[in-house]
Amino acid sequence: MGVGNLPMNVELKHIHKHFGKVHANNDIVLNVPSGTIQGILGENGAGKSTLMKVLSGFIQADSGEILLDGHPVTIHSPADAIQHGIGMLHQDPLDFPPMRALDNFLLGHSGGLFPDRKAVARDFKRLAAQFDFSLDPDSYVDSLTVGERQQLEILRLLWLGARVLILDEPTTGISAIQKAKLFETLRKLTAQGMTVIFVSHKLEDVEVLCHTVAVLRAGKLVGEVKAPFQTKKLVELMFGKEISLGARQAAGPGRSVLELRGVAIEDIRLRMSDINLSVRGGEVIGLAGMEGSGQGPFIRACAGLMRTVGGRVLVNDRDLTGKSYHAFKRNGVSFLPASRLEEGLVPGLTLTEHFVLSEETKGLFIDREGGRKLAEDRISSFNIRGTPLSTVESLSGGNQQRALLALLQDPLSLILLEHPTRGLDIESTIYIWNKLKERCKQGAAIIFISSDLEEILQYSDRVLVFFSGKVSSPLDASKTTVEQLGNLIGGKGWESLKTEKAHG
Amino acid sequence: MVRSNRWVNLGFQLAALVLALLFTTLILLAAGAPPFDAYANILRGAFGSMINFTDVLAAWVPLLLTTAGLLITFAAGLWNIGVEGQIMLGAIFTTWVLRELQDTSMPPALIITLGILAGMIGGALWAMLAGALKTFGGVNEIFGGLGLNFVATALTLWLIFGPWKRPGVASMSGTVPFDDKLALPAFTGLRLSPWALGIAMIAIVIVYLLLQGTYFGLRLKAVGKNPKAAFLLGIPTWQYMMFSFVLCGLFAGAAGAMQVVAVYHRLIPSISSGYGYLGLMVAMLINYQALWAAPIAFFYAALNIGSIQLPIVLHLDSSLSGVLQGMLVLFVLLVEGARQRLMKKA
Amino acid sequence: MRKIILHVALLVVAVALVLSACGPAPLPKATGYTFGMLLVGPYNDQGWSQAHYEAGQYVEQKLGAKMVYIDKVNPADRPGTTASQLAEQLVSQGAKLVIFNSDDMKDEALKFAQAHPDIYVIGSSDDWTWKDGKNYKESPNQTDIMGRMEYGKMIAGCAAALTTQTGQIGYLGPLINDETRRLASSVYLGAKYCWTNYLKKDAKDLKFKVTWIGFWFNIPGVTSDPTQVADDFYNSGYDVVVSGIDTTEASKEAAKFAGQGKKVWAIPYDYVGACEAAPDVCLGVPYFNWGPAYAQVIAAAANGTFKSEFQWNGPDWKDINNKDTSAVGFVKGKALSADASATLDKFIAELAGGLNLWKGPINLQDGSPYLKDGEVATDQQIWYLPQLLQGMEGQSVQP
Repeated sequence: MGVGNLPMNVELKHIHKHFGKVHANNDIVLNVPSGTIQGILGENGAGKSTLMKVLSGFIQADSGEILLDGHPVTIHSPADAIQHGIGMLHQDPLDFPPMRALDNFLLGHSGGLFPDRKAVARDFKRLAAQFDFSLDPDSYVDSLTVGERQQLEILRLLWLGARVLILDEPTTGISAIQKAKLFETLRKLTAQGMTVIFVSHKLEDVEVLCHTVAVLRAGKLVGEVKAPFQTKKLVELMFGKEISLGARQAAGPGRSVLELRGVAIEDIRLRMSDINLSVRGGEVIGLAGMEGSGQGPFIRACAGLMRTVGGRVLVNDRDLTGKSYHAFKRNGVSFLPASRLEEGLVPGLTLTEHFVLSEETKGLFIDREGGRKLAEDRISSFNIRGTPLSTVESLSGGNQQRALLALLQDPLSLILLEHPTRGLDIESTIYIWNKLKERCKQGAAIIFISSDLEEILQYSDRVLVFFSGKVSSPLDASKTTVEQLGNLIGGKGWESLKTEKAHG
Repeated sequence: MVRSNRWVNLGFQLAALVLALLFTTLILLAAGAPPFDAYANILRGAFGSMINFTDVLAAWVPLLLTTAGLLITFAAGLWNIGVEGQIMLGAIFTTWVLRELQDTSMPPALIITLGILAGMIGGALWAMLAGALKTFGGVNEIFGGLGLNFVATALTLWLIFGPWKRPGVASMSGTVPFDDKLALPAFTGLRLSPWALGIAMIAIVIVYLLLQGTYFGLRLKAVGKNPKAAFLLGIPTWQYMMFSFVLCGLFAGAAGAMQVVAVYHRLIPSISSGYGYLGLMVAMLINYQALWAAPIAFFYAALNIGSIQLPIVLHLDSSLSGVLQGMLVLFVLLVEGARQRLMKKA
Repeated sequence: MRKIILHVALLVVAVALVLSACGPAPLPKATGYTFGMLLVGPYNDQGWSQAHYEAGQYVEQKLGAKMVYIDKVNPADRPGTTASQLAEQLVSQGAKLVIFNSDDMKDEALKFAQAHPDIYVIGSSDDWTWKDGKNYKESPNQTDIMGRMEYGKMIAGCAAALTTQTGQIGYLGPLINDETRRLASSVYLGAKYCWTNYLKKDAKDLKFKVTWIGFWFNIPGVTSDPTQVADDFYNSGYDVVVSGIDTTEASKEAAKFAGQGKKVWAIPYDYVGACEAAPDVCLGVPYFNWGPAYAQVIAAAANGTFKSEFQWNGPDWKDINNKDTSAVGFVKGKALSADASATLDKFIAELAGGLNLWKGPINLQDGSPYLKDGEVATDQQIWYLPQLLQGMEGQSVQP
């Protein structure tokens, strides 16, 4: 067991899959030889995930064939897939019960009732060392970062004998360092003869990693390209048209909308103190840092969702220290959480109902006609793919994010966002930033968290870096590089930062 | 799409009904009893005469009031198990006002009205306690509610055997019955009061409108389905939860008041008749849709009244109707689970 | 003149009573007569309701009458119904007389009787028709019946006193009212008499404690847990527990303690078969036998001789366990020793011979006089006993 299994070629022949009226996979033919990293590129809803679910046994194709090393196989379930040597790493960081990494590792292992934990622990450590993963087998899974869970899952699949590794949007929600390590690992694996299928909508990831890229659009395979890649060509294949990336606009000096004076924040894990910051209208501030470095509590403290333990918080020159989120909201602050369906939207309610809820209300009874008009209006102006009666959980991730933005009241002084474009395709990302920039022009300031350093540098005017409870002074985004930022969030290069207090 | 879904759902619900009937029939057969005779007798017991039919309606009133209240707390995502105690407190408050005022020269209609209002307030206060335990004490409303139910039962017994004990020997039969003039007027020769019936129907209409048509109802639903998101949307969540408790308490208290002024005319040890738990079953069965509350509560009331015939005529244990009621909820939940799985796959 | 008529009438009644007590006077048949019965609990509850149900079967067999019944007549089991409403259902099935078997239905029984003058009503354990009672209401088509369980309880108390080795008897009481006070006190009177008269011990050395749980059966969270109360008794030296509640926790706990080698006993209540719950620790059970009274009233109703009255029926002292004549009985249990059994028979014989334990001097619990020396309690004094008696430990009134 472990790495060193036989290489394997994967062939997909004429795969069709329908969901109701949607033709999610339409005659897909794909050949992935062993030892390659095959990219699958496409915007959300193009059929990437469906295809991978077919290959990994989660769902069955309506028609078509899967051949492994030339032999046709039928894959009934994920367990079946791993028997055949196909392991899938899921998009969403799977929710594991609070168990130890080693126990999680043992899940799905079919050998005997009482596993030899010592031997398994040895395997675990050997594999981890091989890929330079610093995973403690005794740590609890729920204490791991998304990136670490991913590493754990890769080890587990390899240990179970995977020869084909499918990764569905693996760079979502992990830090730049973890991403670099992941890519290094995948290259190592293919060098040993493994087959890697890398599903993503992120052009830059696919470009640096993959040997070949297959592009899906609306359920069809619209083209295959070999490295080296031309970004323009890929974008064209993905969207069938050219899209230009939005350029950064310099923010004009506005009035101060948020001022932090010597603020201290505390949560179970860390304490940050003496934070000073002044944010002006029209400005965009990016918060960078590895997950759990303090940017979460910080942004929530700016929204009144987390009580500060020291200092003062002023919104539009009004002291709101210790006030609730609703007081902040009344003063023009809005917070959009990262987990859209858990915190941002109400599953089970329609878009119309959401828009009605977000508006000032008059009278006792709901104005249905007005609600419908409002919904139609917002749906078209925010380009949401859905009807006024669509429930929010039926929308795709990008459309949910647009809906969230459409819920923002007008006017606003400060918009706080957690991972505004996580999991979204490039088109949605651009769209959402355009909408946010409009808000900036109207005088709102934006503070956002992102794990995508390029996004931070691209859209921010200033950047705050968080590292285990330390907060940097604001950096000028135009004078900062991805490498510098990467070092800082990893805890390197802090000495060279000036210890100057934040200035406005 | 939406419309066809509704028919599909209805089909599933019917399937659940058929399964529940089938299962109950199997139990009857296993017990060596004639199932069709049993069902026929239940039907006859519920609808066989004007008296029986109006008895069904009389039992429907408090059940519908309770269900109406529960729809509000369910909308807010709360399991108001304490509704049972809220009915009891409603009955206690009503009894209290009637006792205090019965010897005054006030017109009976006014006394009854004040009694009903007091009952509603009593239920609301008790519900508020459950709400406060949840909001400020962090006590889950299920456990808080159960505890408060016990306290309410103890309070009822204490009043009957203590301060409100009848002259002579305190009795399980309850406090001294009120004079006939303090009863809600009933149809001649029947036990059904048109007033009680009217109050129940108005209540369910109010709840339906509240949940379907008002901003308040929509916000309550948002709180119930996702309190975090509702909070971020600017809805004061705990106040809404508290308010939903109070509203439910008002309706449960009204149910308790009806038990006193329209059914038992005194306070008895089990004044709530288990309507709280029955109401929870009805609410689950209708998947919290106010539209269905009236017919399903009526169906349950008919089962309660109709099943009286079973021991008389067939010497059958009448808990059969309880079995059928429970089976229905169970199968509806099971079928709903199956439906969701199937829909996901399709 | 009127006085004479009254005297004659009383004499006739007395003679009739004596006659009916002396020999089982043959009852007229009531073939085809339908009577109804409302049972507060399940018909097979091994307790109060089953005793009534079996009495109904007894009447069917003795008179050839037909019973229709509804059990679990209480608002918790039958939401939205009242006993009078259910009685109407029985009438629609042909019942000409309806038995309301519990104090729970007291008001409903009266209401029903007044609303249906053509139907006869028996209120078991009610006192509406007792002219000398505090609750008398004119209800010509109603007869109320109660058994003089005081005697059964005295015998139970005697059996407890003859058996206890620690001199400590516990009484597991339900809720506190006049009825439960008089029954607990009867146990004490019987125990004290046998303790001092047969065992020749000092009354001061007999400890008798009443613990009320708060209801007729356990309601978790509302009442005290009877299992816990019985445990506390057995753990603190009370080796005999007499139960006054509807369920058999005391017997079960006694069996548990006996299983651990402790010498403890229990006396259940209500139903002739109640010893079966724990036969090896059972000293016996005082029980009601409603059959004879029901048969007599129903026969009268069927034959047009019904008259409204209040019956408070005692045991048939010739044979307290005679199914056809005795309203109250006591069945000895397996755990009663041969010696104690013989002495108990002596006690029963004394009672049969006219021994009255409700005779002064008796003080109430707070020391105030209840009966002067030599004064015999009237039925009213017994029925409406205001406190427990001096020498008994435990609460007298609901706090």
